[in-house]
Amino acid sequence: MDAEIVLQAMVNGLMVGGVYALIAVGLTLIFGVMNVVNFAHGEFVMLGMVMTYLLHRFFGMDPGVSILLVIPLMLGVGALIQKGLISRVVGQPDEAQILLTLGLSVLLTNIVLLFMGPDYRSVKTTYKLSVWAVGPILFSVPRLLAFIVAMAFSGILWLFLTKTDLGKGLRAVAEKPEVATLMGINPRRMHMLAFGIGISLAAGAGSILTPFFYTFPSVGGMFVLIAFVVVVLGGMGNIPGAIVGALAIGITESLTSQFVALDLAMLGVFIIFVLVLVFKPSGILGKGKVY
Amino acid sequence: MSTSPEEQFSWTRYTPWILLAIILVFPFILPSRYLLRTLVNIFFFAALGCAWNIIGGYAGQLSLGHSAFVAMGAYPTGLLLLYYNVPPWIGFIPGIVVAVVVAFLLGHLVFGLRGPYLALSTLAFGEIVRILLLHFRDQTGGSLGVTIPFRGTDAWKLQFASEQPYYYICLALLGVCLYVTYRVHSSRMGYYLQAIKENQDAAENLGINLAGSKVKALMISAALTALLGAFYVAYFYYIDPDSVAGSDLSIKILLVAIIGGVGTVWGPIVGACILVPLTEISNYLFGGGRAGASLIIYAIILIIVVLFSPRGLITLLPGGARSYRSE
Repeated sequence: MDAEIVLQAMVNGLMVGGVYALIAVGLTLIFGVMNVVNFAHGEFVMLGMVMTYLLHRFFGMDPGVSILLVIPLMLGVGALIQKGLISRVVGQPDEAQILLTLGLSVLLTNIVLLFMGPDYRSVKTTYKLSVWAVGPILFSVPRLLAFIVAMAFSGILWLFLTKTDLGKGLRAVAEKPEVATLMGINPRRMHMLAFGIGISLAAGAGSILTPFFYTFPSVGGMFVLIAFVVVVLGGMGNIPGAIVGALAIGITESLTSQFVALDLAMLGVFIIFVLVLVFKPSGILGKGKVY
Repeated sequence: MSTSPEEQFSWTRYTPWILLAIILVFPFILPSRYLLRTLVNIFFFAALGCAWNIIGGYAGQLSLGHSAFVAMGAYPTGLLLLYYNVPPWIGFIPGIVVAVVVAFLLGHLVFGLRGPYLALSTLAFGEIVRILLLHFRDQTGGSLGVTIPFRGTDAWKLQFASEQPYYYICLALLGVCLYVTYRVHSSRMGYYLQAIKENQDAAENLGINLAGSKVKALMISAALTALLGAFYVAYFYYIDPDSVAGSDLSIKILLVAIIGGVGTVWGPIVGACILVPLTEISNYLFGGGRAGASLIIYAIILIIVVLFSPRGLITLLPGGARSYRSE
């Protein structure tokens, strides 16, 4: 095996893994704060992609700019979905939560399918095919930009959760909802904030994916599975775990497609997933919620 | 003068038998090809819902990857018919064996998990099967799928030009699924599964073998699902990984059971009687090409059921609530 090829595959995987991280931190935040597994998470990635595609198609807007519109918009949408739908199943049996978010996922996919059709669409940026060479290793510019933006937003989330009062309130609700309520924190508001942040990060990840990934209605199904794998790998509710898990999954996927078979890339990922679920469901980085 | 209740003609008592008689003679009264196809679809999805219900409803172990078992029944049957001329009524056997063995292994692997973890692992299981079917394209045809040529009516190969034979075959399969579900429902195993669904820890403390009961339920469910997969290939003459092993089918199966009435014998029939005609109506209104429309309606129904009628629409029918054992 050629070391340069291995290194190149790892770099490619790392870049994509960064985007997975942004999707997964949102999922793990939602789980951590209100114990709801959001089966519709991938559809919010898809919505971010669709919005970015439309903004590019009709206004020629660059995905790097659209993300600044998509994130605040989805923050509001997420808060409303939480208030109107998800709040009704918080604390309910698992089946109710799974089925409600699953229903939401089918609904969103098919609404977009109805209006846009099943076609694969792409956003053609000027830097779509640009490559930046560092010695023998090639960095695809859109992927590198996506990686940097994703890491920046993950970093901002981390600062928000650890340094601001609002972020500390979220963590308090995640850890001890009763005590947080006694301290004057409104858990319902915090749930709205968590769901809003969670899905806006997913949609933001969708924005930065568009320059190198096709946009189509059922694209979310793929990302939601990857995000689940990452979240379980990092420990449900564990944000640093999700970031490490995402980078590891990105690299695994890339190495599998390079050295085993292109169409088996996801197989390696899913097999790791089932094995981690079965043998270490608390995640590879240890137990429970960590911020 | 009053008559005792026994002397009155009891509609509720005879309705099921009258319905059954109508269903049995229906193809002769109204031999419309389109209507019969719709009914075959209703029987087929009701039967799939019943099979799913054994593990997903009675035992409460939500499976999001059941289409994998449909594929395990459909692929061997289809390939044996295509390459070796083995008729489907023999060719379904290997598929069932595969499904039962896989269910046994999968059950032992994942039934230690609960709630969302279990649902996620079944989702990944379904995807693994779909990816493998796509990958081994020399054997499975990959994304092009398997097409069975129709060479005129041949009862030996279960190929019929008319719709009636399929109608009765599918009705019989639904009968098998209902019978098995009813046996599970009224057996000791049914009580074990219900106890597991309500509280796994309490069930275990009562001495119920959790893993054993759940694995057994999954094996029964997988065998029936694979049997229906064999019918699928014999009836539609075409299979590909997305249609028989995709998550869309898994979700449809679960919707039939959940919308109808989860963990009841008759619930999936109610579910299929709602969902299949809805698909037909929306295909008529929006054109079959935009399959999205019917799924939008399903999703809205699912959300409404989860929020407002979590025990399914069967509870809205007269006497429907009695379908639950505890009532």
